[in-house]
Amino acid sequence: MSFDLNLILDSLPKMLAGFGVTLQLLVVSGVLGLILAILLLLMRLSGKFYLDWVAQVYIYIFRGTPILVQIFIIYYGLPQFEAIRDSVFWSILREPTGCAILALTLNTGAYVSEILRGGVLGVDKGLLEAGSALGMSARQKFIYITTPLATRLALPAYSNDVISLLKSTALASTITITDMTGIARTIVADTYAPYEVFISLAIVYMIFTFGIQKLFGVFERYLGRYARREE
Amino acid sequence: MEVLTGWWDDYLWGAVIVAKVFAASLLLMILFGLIGAAAKLSDSRVAQKIANGYTVIFRGTPEILVILLLYFGSAIVLTAIAKVFDPDVRFVDVPPFWAGTIAIALIVGSYATETFRGAFLGVKPGSIEAARALGMSNLQTFIYIRIPEMWRIALPPFGNHMLSLVKDTALISIIGLNETLFVAKQAITVTGKPFTMYILVGIIYLGFSTIITLSVMGIERFGNRTTVGAR
Amino acid sequence: MRFKSIQLMAIGVVAMCSAFSASAETLRVGMECTYAPFNYRTADGELAGYDVDVAKGVAAIIGADFEYVCQEWDGMIPALLANKFDLIIASMSITEKRMEKIDFSGPYRFSTGQIVGSKKTKVNLFDGSGNPIAGNFDGLKVGLERATTYSSWFEEKLPGADVLLYDSSESLYLDLQNGRVDLIMTNPMKAHLKFLAKADGAGFEFKGPVVDEEKYFGIGVGIGMRQGQDELKGRLNGALKKLINSGDLESYARKIFPFKLHKDEWGQ
Repeated sequence: MSFDLNLILDSLPKMLAGFGVTLQLLVVSGVLGLILAILLLLMRLSGKFYLDWVAQVYIYIFRGTPILVQIFIIYYGLPQFEAIRDSVFWSILREPTGCAILALTLNTGAYVSEILRGGVLGVDKGLLEAGSALGMSARQKFIYITTPLATRLALPAYSNDVISLLKSTALASTITITDMTGIARTIVADTYAPYEVFISLAIVYMIFTFGIQKLFGVFERYLGRYARREE
Repeated sequence: MEVLTGWWDDYLWGAVIVAKVFAASLLLMILFGLIGAAAKLSDSRVAQKIANGYTVIFRGTPEILVILLLYFGSAIVLTAIAKVFDPDVRFVDVPPFWAGTIAIALIVGSYATETFRGAFLGVKPGSIEAARALGMSNLQTFIYIRIPEMWRIALPPFGNHMLSLVKDTALISIIGLNETLFVAKQAITVTGKPFTMYILVGIIYLGFSTIITLSVMGIERFGNRTTVGAR
Repeated sequence: MRFKSIQLMAIGVVAMCSAFSASAETLRVGMECTYAPFNYRTADGELAGYDVDVAKGVAAIIGADFEYVCQEWDGMIPALLANKFDLIIASMSITEKRMEKIDFSGPYRFSTGQIVGSKKTKVNLFDGSGNPIAGNFDGLKVGLERATTYSSWFEEKLPGADVLLYDSSESLYLDLQNGRVDLIMTNPMKAHLKFLAKADGAGFEFKGPVVDEEKYFGIGVGIGMRQGQDELKGRLNGALKKLINSGDLESYARKIFPFKLHKDEWGQ
């Protein structure tokens, strides 16, 4: 095995050209997923069994199946039906990027809602009682007490999910999207040199992951700035 | 539905392969996780650094990339090692089943390392002191005190690791392993009905996830059977 | 820890070596397994198709056992070079670019390409002498499979085209049908048989002449193998010639098409 350094130097810029695509997939799916997660969370906390139950089934399905299968069902499976092709959704589903974002959003929404729920359940009951004693309504308690505390509790697990989301964006390459992994596979197919290309790609993802972890670390420290004891 | 005639048994065999991969990678994952946790908890700086490297690499790299790298790279690395022992060996190869199994075991093992580490740290110091007071040796303390407490703490996140393991099996279809997703791709070539085929794959994986989740719930109940208030 | 790991490695290596050294000659063959009608899997779980028949025929003549390994197309040559299998019998065209890295047997099938598109797309994509008109491809999305002769042809002739790269040919046809791409370039025999002649392909047609420029499509498809195996190549070529001259190769083709897929002169 000859390690062709020239090849690495050659392919890195090409792969980094896909960085924008990867970032776009990550951010858009992440934000939309978070919104979906909050929606699901409210459904689960609503106390109304029909909302709770629907949310639970949704989460069960999307956490219980592989994301690759979800991507394929949305991209290849749905267009099988004329009705879908003629509908208004087709403008999104026609584009591979649209399908990828949809699949990633639906998937991460399910995971994040469980993470948020864990955070909400972790809020000390005593604090909520104090809120009631002060005459706060349920909605006020949720906004002023539960939300800030739950966010801080859920943050470590959430940062893990964002990293998972980043790794899942690599699967978008299987539906023709030219993200970093897609470009890498094309380079490998042309040069027949999997090791150099894939190893350098792995390093790029690791650096990206490291960056995200650091970012969340800063955010965690900021949110916990009142909770830390003076050292 | 008639389009599935003849394919049911192929899907069944695909599901059997998923089960086999799960069993093999579960054992390896526990092994890697325990070794990693032991390394991180040990006093040796070298072991800690290696374990840290292991977690950073396998948590920061997309699963699909790890699988592709192990598939293409394994033969070269193992052949080099084998040549040291027996220069006549032409090559040593790792079939897709093992390349994929080891890959996903390494990936989920890196998460398991953190889980096991946290669980070992969560063993009540009081229990350890009591064991010392009773004159138990290190080995006895480990077997009778640490392990029982530790696995109960680790169980919920460990259940998630098992779910990840099952779902990552779908990614091994990329390197030609004949599990359910690859069966689906071959079936689509002949039948041209992607939605039906992929939905069936989803249902099979959902089935596996359900079995795992129910088993974990059962084991949790078993583990907490002597705890006051457990249902 | 050190001691145990060396022992484990040794056991593993010895086990793998002994598992490998089989008695009869066993060669592993890489195929896509999703490329009807040349190599695909039927509902019975068996591999079938022109390439599979050729493989079985050759195996019988050279007296070896063939094991079949499924591989995604874009990883076919890297996998061969990484020793995942010994032969590629997957409708792989013998091109100069590929010959730089691997070796091929003689050809056993024509290699050609043709563009397929919707009947509603009414542009002249080719001029009278069979060259593509670059400007007329503007605004049209083209689907191609990665690492194929078709994608190489497109890269060179129409570098400005809006190309989407797919992992398998099946996905190509699916996306042409549901309108994600306007044109695809594919094997015309497969296109005719599996698509245009069927209900799904009713609204589609060939959009240009058959392209068979040797620079991109080579002299045909052959059996791929790692370089430096002249003895094996000799045996494979001998086997292929026998199949051609005995009429077996033609019978494999006629199972699927009403014509043969090779030139008789390849049997000389």
